[in-house]
Formats: sequence, C-alpha cells, structure tokens
Amino acid sequence: MIAWSALGIEFIVSLVAAAGVVAVFALGLRLLAVGAPVEARAATDGGEQVAEGELSLSHSRPAWASLAAYLCFAVAVAAVLYGIYLIIPQFH
Amino acid sequence: MDALAIVILVVVLGLVFDFTNGFHDTANAMATSVATGALRPRVAVLISAVLNLVGAFLSTEVASTVSSGIVKEGSGGIEITPVMIFAGLVGAIMWNLATWYLGLPSSSTHALFGGLIGAAIIGSGWNAVDWFNVLSKIALPALFAPVVAGVVAMVATYAAYMITKRATSRGAERGFRYGQTVSASLVSLAHGTNDAQKTMGVITLTFVAAGYQRSGTGPQFWVILACALAIAAGTYSGGWRIMRTVGKRITEVTPPQGFAAETSSAATILVSSHLGFPLSTTQVTTGAIVGSGLGKRLASVRWGTFGRMALAWLVTVPAAALVAALATLIVKTGAVGTVIVVVAAVAGMVAFWMLSRRHPVSHETVNVDEDVLASRRPEPVRAGESK
Repeated sequence: MIAWSALGIEFIVSLVAAAGVVAVFALGLRLLAVGAPVEARAATDGGEQVAEGELSLSHSRPAWASLAAYLCFAVAVAAVLYGIYLIIPQFH
Repeated sequence: MDALAIVILVVVLGLVFDFTNGFHDTANAMATSVATGALRPRVAVLISAVLNLVGAFLSTEVASTVSSGIVKEGSGGIEITPVMIFAGLVGAIMWNLATWYLGLPSSSTHALFGGLIGAAIIGSGWNAVDWFNVLSKIALPALFAPVVAGVVAMVATYAAYMITKRATSRGAERGFRYGQTVSASLVSLAHGTNDAQKTMGVITLTFVAAGYQRSGTGPQFWVILACALAIAAGTYSGGWRIMRTVGKRITEVTPPQGFAAETSSAATILVSSHLGFPLSTTQVTTGAIVGSGLGKRLASVRWGTFGRMALAWLVTVPAAALVAALATLIVKTGAVGTVIVVVAAVAGMVAFWMLSRRHPVSHETVNVDEDVLASRRPEPVRAGESK
C-alpha cells in the first residue's frame, strides 16, 4: 500500500505554501518598486546607465504601496516563523 | 574480536559517517545562495554549520529501529548486530566519499540503508530485508521527491518572475537574495534536526545491542554532543565539489530562481516530514533547482548533469549494500578480517581524498566552472571552436 493520498496532499500543500510565500514576497518587492522611474528597469536590463542619485531623487513611492509591501513581508515573516515552529519538536 | 572493540569502531565510523553526511548535504541548503552571490561561500557554510549544530541539539528523540523497517528487526525478524552496523557504516561512508569525489549529491540516509541491507543479506539471507519497505520507503520516494519539488519550484519561479516583471523592478534582485538566505537557513535547520539524530540513533542502538545501555533509554549526552559537532564540522568543511554541481551545473541560478527553489525545498521538506511521508532532502533540493530552471522561460536545464545524479540515486542503495556485504564477509572470518576491513576503509578514505586533490574545488573556486565559462562564450566563438 503506497500512501497515494498522502502524496497528493503533500504535493498540494507544498505547492500552495511555496508558491504562496514566493508570490507574496515577490509582490512585496514589486510594490516597493512602485513609483520608481522606468529608467531603473532599463538600467538593470543592461541598458543605459542612469546615475544612482538621479534615480532616488525622482523615486517617490505612494503610501498605499509601502503599506501593502510591508503587509506582504509580514506575511512572509509569519510563514518563516511557522516553518521554525514546525521544525522544532519542543514546540509541539 | 571482542564486543567492545566493535562498539568503539561503530562509534568512530558513526561519527565519520555523520561528518560525510554534513559535507554531502551543505549543498542542499547553500548551493543556490553561494551561486547567486547572496552569501559569500565561507559565510554560507558557517551559517549552515551553526544551524545544523543547533538542530542536532533540538531533536534528540532517538529512533527505535536502526533501519526504519527496511531490515526486519525485532521479534520474528533478525537481530541487527554491532558487526552489521559496522559493515553498513563502511558501505555508507565509501559511497558518500565516491559521490562526493564525483561531485554528485546523493542521499546519505539511503546510503546508510543500503549498507545495512548489504550487511543483513550476508548476515541472515535475503529474507532479512523487507523488500516492500525498500520499495515504499526508498525507491518510490526517490522517484516522487524530485518531481514534486520540481513542479512546486517551477510554479513558484514562474510566479516570482511574473510578479516582478522578470526581476527587473527596482530592488527585486537584492530582495530575492535576502529571501533566499532565510529559506536556505530553514532548510539547514530542518536538516540538522533530521540527520544528526540518525547517527545518534545508530550509536545508541549499538550500545543497547551490546548491552552497555538499557533498551528504550535516550542517547548519552556525549553522543549527542559528538554527533552535533561531527555534522557541523562536516557542514563547515563545505563539500565544495557537490556545491559546484548543484549551484552551477544544473542551471545558472539567478536570485529569483534561488529564492523560489529554496522556499519550495523548505516547504516540501517540512510538509513531508509533518505528514510522515519522508522525502530525501537531497532529492528535494535538486528537483527544486531543476524546476526553477524550467520555471524561468528559456532557461536551460542541463539534463546530462541531472541524469548523472538520478543514476547515482538509483545506484546508491545497491552500491553501499555491495560494499557492506563485502565488509561483512571479511569480518566474519574473525579478528584479522575486522582489521583488514578497518585498514581497507581508512585506505579508501585516504584514496578519495588524494584523488580529490588532483582537481580540488574550494570556497574560492566553487563558482568557477570551465563548463559554465564555455557555455557563456558568445555564439560565434563557440561555432568556430577549433582548439
């Protein structure tokens, strides 16, 4: 008897957990970049270099984006803490 | 050879095995962080070593059987003797060193199971092994682990790239490097709680079998300490050969991929151990890195490298079993036989170490790879290659 159902659950839970955390964290990073000038993207793509100071001067992130970004990171941190809780046997 | 000598040999070889387990598995947690430059190599192995040490102290619940049911132990089955454990350890250590020399990640747990299987077959015949458990606890998980982790990492990588517009949004690369470090640390901690405990179990059960310790009691403090230190020292020594393969030769790992792969590994490992469906950490992390290569569009996965690893996974159990079987046969001849096996084992260890010095890989060269450099050359150069 191979535990097919355990394997199925394993797969689905891992998928949701991993993809969820990665997506939330990535969303946080994306939100941090809201308001950043388009040139920044061109620069990281290997395009024309833009002076670093010039970039940060024109970089103004709206408050909602900051808030949402921090919320995303908080979720990621919570996931890590839950992971530590699962790893350490003394907790359960 | 009297019992005490064999017990001492088991303790020494157990710690050697624990050490090889450490450097064999550093790559699982840290290869991607080293490859993307999120952590400097020495820092990466230091973090991993400390977390393995901490993990070893956290989880000291000793296993009740040496082989987790692979060998039919206890009532109605056979008695796993210290001699069999000794031979099994020799087989496992030799396989770990061989795969390390070749730079191939492979499961230390499977190597230990293989060694015990070989020793049990010679000691008590084919019936001593529970072949159904071999199938359901070794063979099938080995098949599932890379597939499950690979698909999970593929989806996660795709999501990471989609959301951050292929990681071009400002600060994304740096952010992914931070995230990756945290995920990798979780993998290291989980590894410490799982793997050091195996050696503690082997040593403790040997004491029980030899009558030095009462059945059902936990490991002695010095055993916990020695095992924790051995796995941490092994981890810190780096296993750079394997790290180079995992970090550089499967796919060119970028920060978003590294983050997605490491997070997928951590999730898959945690979920599997929580559900009691144990998957090999090595096979999970390797599968996740392959998946992260597939999740990034146009990224190339070097299937040749992965094929060699898969072959190594397939051969792990039989190879360790063969060495252990041979060791058991020689030990059976008496005290001289035991001495011969010990001398041969030490000679084998020295030989692999000497061989590795011919093409050393260190923390300085872990990210430098002729194969990678060659594949990075612009197209026209490669087309006109004429040495």
